Amino acid sequence: MRIRILVLSTLLALSGAASALTPDDVKSALAAEVKATDPAFKDFSAQRGNVFFHARHGGEWSCATCHTELPAASGQHTVTKKPIRPLAPAANAERFTNQDKVDKWFKRNCNDVAKRACTAREKGDLLAYLMSVKP
Amino acid sequence: METTAMNSQSTPAGGKPTHIRILVWDVPVRVFHWALAGSFITAFVTAESEAFRNVHVVSGYLMLALIVFRVVWGFVGTRHARFSDFVRGPGAVVNYVRSLINGNPEHHVGHNPAGALAIILLLLLGVGTVASGWMSFNEIGGDALGELHEGIATTMLAVVVVHVLGVIVSSFLHRENLLRSMLTGYKDGPREDGIGHRRGIIAIALVAVLGWFGWGLTQGQFPGLLDANAAAQQAHHGESGEHDDED
Ligand code: HEC
Ligand code: HEM
Repeated sequence: MRIRILVLSTLLALSGAASALTPDDVKSALAAEVKATDPAFKDFSAQRGNVFFHARHGGEWSCATCHTELPAASGQHTVTKKPIRPLAPAANAERFTNQDKVDKWFKRNCNDVAKRACTAREKGDLLAYLMSVKP
Repeated sequence: METTAMNSQSTPAGGKPTHIRILVWDVPVRVFHWALAGSFITAFVTAESEAFRNVHVVSGYLMLALIVFRVVWGFVGTRHARFSDFVRGPGAVVNYVRSLINGNPEHHVGHNPAGALAIILLLLLGVGTVASGWMSFNEIGGDALGELHEGIATTMLAVVVVHVLGVIVSSFLHRENLLRSMLTGYKDGPREDGIGHRRGIIAIALVAVLGWFGWGLTQGQFPGLLDANAAAQQAHHGESGEHDDED
């Protein structure tokens, strides 16, 4: 009984926490993070993000391996072959609207691609690039 | 086991009957135990990387298959493997823990009541982990289910830690090497508490069925569980690690 209530309230809390965040919010949070260590910082570069997204970083994969060369398209998981919905917010309104999900996948995917965490600046550049992609 | 003039519990302390080396855990229980530990650890350490997704999923399914077997064995297995031998109410757990604190530990040839509680929790959490993992793998239930999956798995890890600590502490309190008994099957105890059969054939059948199931998964024989061409691709990469044959 207790457990059922616990599970239900967890589910509710998790689904409620997902609301009302925009890709711009995510980006400003990253910008604040960079500014904290580099006061001269102005803005993220979609160009640098573009390069990072399509390049390999020492491993077998790039971001494009799963999220396709054109992240407005549907991708495919290179190991499980499961479809992945487009990563660009313009093509998929659900992207970058849940901070926990963004953090979780940046962590996992940067580890898979670059064998390390991405810096706040890299993440911001990537996001700037993804936000610039039009379907 | 020092000064014990406690009020009488259900402890059959005192003049023990002659203890000999008796078989307590049949082979299927021991194979189950170490295969379960192996599959849990494998699934846990492969969770963080997309590269090991298929290994993660296969070890999860093997864990569930093991638990299904154990539930059946809990009804038809040898004496100390049966749920009826070790599943007891909360009162028994409280009494047992109290007996530990009092320094006059109740002795149980099979699982003690506190250990039994951890076992039941581990079986339930194992089922919950795989069920929620299967659902998030198939995108049923959205992000929340993925979080739930991680939450259950982390809880299970915590219970495993408590379980292992419990084994160590009990081993000292009872002056009895429980870890060795889960490897060899033997403990010291009165002759009438032993079991008569090893049930080795059942253990061989268990390993064979699990091997067939694990192999089938990697070959895409069960497309509802793991996608076919994905598994073939994984096989080309020469992944291994979905076999369990320890004892
Ligand atoms: C092995 C395949 C794979 C690779 C390589 C990969 N991703 Fe992903 N990515 C996924 C999967 C699977 C998801 C989660 C499923 C989903 O949300 O559709 C995901 C989700 C994400 C998300 C979550 C966005 C949101 O809000 O929903 C971000 C951000 C992301 N990836 C960024 C990256 C970046 C940056 C790289 C390169 C460093 C990368 N990914 C490389 C498979 C991959
Ligand atoms: C890693 C994950 C582990 C899981 C999921 C797990 C789970 C279990 C389960 C389900 C049982 C009940 C066995 C049965 O009746 O079928 C059990 C018993 C036991 N386990 Fe583990 N175990 C794990 C690790 C370990 C480790 C590392 C040790 C060694 C210290 C250990 C030692 C034992 C012992 C000694 C018993 C018998 C306890 C008793 O005498 O009552 N386990 N375990």
